[in-house]
Amino acid sequence: MTARILIIEDEALVAMELRFVLEDLGYDVVAIAADARTARNLAKETEVDLALVDIHLSDGPTGVELGRDLAQEAGVTVLYMTANPGMVRNGVAGAIGVLGKPTDERAVQKSVEYALGRRNGQPVQYAPPELQLFAN
Amino acid sequence: MAPVACENGVCPLSLSNINDQWPKGWSERDRVAALRAYGVLHTAPEIGFDDIVALAAKICDAPTALISLVDTDTQWFKAKVGLVACETGRDVSFCDHAMREHEVMVVRDATQDPRFADNALVTGSLGIRFYAGAPLISAEGLPVGSLCIIDYRPRPGGLTDLQAQALSVLARQVISQMELRKALAQRKESEETARRAVLASEYVGAWDWDMVNDRVVADERFARMYGLDPEVGVAGAPLSVFMAHMHPDDVDRVAAEIEQATEGDGVFVSEYRLQAPGETPRWVVARGQIYFAADGTPEHFPGISVDITERKALDANLADVAAALSESEAKFRAIADSMPQMVWSTHADGLHDYYNARWYEFTGVSEGSTDGEGWAAIFHPEDQPRAWEVWRHSLATGDLYEIEYRLRRHDGVYRWTLGRAVPIRNEAGEIIRWFGTCTDIDDLKRVEQNKELLSQELSHRIKNIFAVVSALIALSAREHPEAKAFASAVRNRIGALARAHEFVRPHSEVSRPTVGDMTLHAFLEALFKPYANDDGSARVTIEGDDAIFDDQAATSVALLFHELATNAAKYGALSVVGGRVILRTELRDDRFVLTWTETGGPAVAGQPTREGFGTSLATLSVQGQLGGRLERIWRRDGLKVVADLPATALSRRRAAQNVR
Repeated sequence: MTARILIIEDEALVAMELRFVLEDLGYDVVAIAADARTARNLAKETEVDLALVDIHLSDGPTGVELGRDLAQEAGVTVLYMTANPGMVRNGVAGAIGVLGKPTDERAVQKSVEYALGRRNGQPVQYAPPELQLFAN
Repeated sequence: MAPVACENGVCPLSLSNINDQWPKGWSERDRVAALRAYGVLHTAPEIGFDDIVALAAKICDAPTALISLVDTDTQWFKAKVGLVACETGRDVSFCDHAMREHEVMVVRDATQDPRFADNALVTGSLGIRFYAGAPLISAEGLPVGSLCIIDYRPRPGGLTDLQAQALSVLARQVISQMELRKALAQRKESEETARRAVLASEYVGAWDWDMVNDRVVADERFARMYGLDPEVGVAGAPLSVFMAHMHPDDVDRVAAEIEQATEGDGVFVSEYRLQAPGETPRWVVARGQIYFAADGTPEHFPGISVDITERKALDANLADVAAALSESEAKFRAIADSMPQMVWSTHADGLHDYYNARWYEFTGVSEGSTDGEGWAAIFHPEDQPRAWEVWRHSLATGDLYEIEYRLRRHDGVYRWTLGRAVPIRNEAGEIIRWFGTCTDIDDLKRVEQNKELLSQELSHRIKNIFAVVSALIALSAREHPEAKAFASAVRNRIGALARAHEFVRPHSEVSRPTVGDMTLHAFLEALFKPYANDDGSARVTIEGDDAIFDDQAATSVALLFHELATNAAKYGALSVVGGRVILRTELRDDRFVLTWTETGGPAVAGQPTREGFGTSLATLSVQGQLGGRLERIWRRDGLKVVADLPATALSRRRAAQNVR
């Protein structure tokens, strides 16, 4: 089954490029959300396996809280993607980790594979070096 | 007698046994003291004494006559006729014998006298035969020498009575002359002492006013002080003559004071100025006493005056200094009270004794309540230990005191405050006091925090732009599959720059990089992370000296090592499993040398014939931006690159600050 991925990112160009990369890799990008409310609604309406969450969204630095809710309440696997990884230095309960931006396609690919592997209970592989894992 | 040397004045025989022969009641020491008290030994000839020896020789019809003064070891001749020598040793002295007699000692023939028969002056070339000496006895009755006549033939007849009597009279005359001499010298000395005492005492002089006849008699100094001829003073003149030289402003007052003394108990004390023509006024204090006749009429009025000009000047100077001090104190308070800062001062031991108005205004405490150690209560409890420590350190060392702490305002709100204090030292360099200020920097702190927030926001935006640009390139490349490799290379370079920016931008606690400190090694480790093994173990090992680096160096360092790593991943050690790189960083005096050594990669054939853009970029970074040298060594088992940088290149801003 193709994994369903939600991109939460307020920079349209960054979101679009990410979408193309993921689609090239064969994933199903269900939607792109630019703010927390939209993201929450989308997560309620649609089935989402993985959310790639930016921290600074169009409604402010709401990404941290959003990621926590998605992971703990909506059963979504959460991977933060941000230009400011320090914001989630101490980790967020339920989320996998954080990938700094900008990054390259290979790092995105490896990180998404790692996160979905964890979600599906597959044996844990090595995480890509660019991905900082949360201890939880 | 002459042959005995007198040039050096000393004949080396001590006659300590002579003491034993003296009659009881006086000692040799008293005798010598009496002789020396005359102050006559070794003085120039004087006519009074010369006349006496000339007369003695004549009366006694002798070729030689002497006034011989017997000192401890020698006899010295104050006056002489018929002899060249001015002194001889005491051991051959006839006079030493003669002076102990009460009358004239006569030696008719020395060769026949057991006391003198083998005396050198007798047996020698001088050949004394006859001697007659009258003792010289001081006023205290001590023998000091003799007046003698000498002949070189025996005189069996001795002296006539008249001659002996004349010799005795003349001997007493010698003593009289010497006493006179001493008295004159003593008077001169005491006059000198008195003169000096008068000069030193600022004593001006004395007056006596015969009030009945209005005649003031004054001594010389007094008269001169009033600008009068001393003879006028001695002769006496009406009071008005003296008063004429008093400072015009003081005349009426002094006249009133004399009037007052006349009507009262007669005691007069007054300070006034004297104004001699063409001279600066002198201040004198006059003290006098009016004496009254039986019927109460004032009769005469003696007194003295003393010059107090210098004392007055001193007093005035003191008053000036006191005025200046109080003025400067007033000025200081005015300045201190008008300052926007709180100002305080302490003794050398740190005990507070002054606060300006602002302190009381800010803290709302009552005046004086924070003197001593009361100030501590105004500090935020959390800041007290730190403030105490810094303050104690300053007190102990004299170092500038500077600290930020929270100070309680009158409304109970703690405000951030900058406290500073400097020691004030005396000429010997000892700290005598501390002056300090407290500046409310609470608003400033807030502005700073806002500024920091703003700069973090800005930095975040920049970082985001890197992401947007990177995405834009990737999206653009999708249209042109042939540009995919190119786009990837550019994106990777942008990624390296973004990482460099992340490391060196202004950071808060929140935005600080998640890995390690902001040092070169931490940065390089992050940069090389994508090249790690699948298990996360590094393939580029960094070793050696770490360094702090700033934003100016960051982009160059990032580009250099991004290119080296990319190249190694494509063609070098990182392109095969098992290949690795050692990056050694070393601080060598004023150079910082980074050595990149690849091993375990494909064999290197030699220097590439063509230089790629990546290589140019690396060279440009080192030689252009960092001001260093870049050397590539194409060894067979792997590339070696040496970047030799000035030590300051990594942190130019810091280096520039340290130069100050």
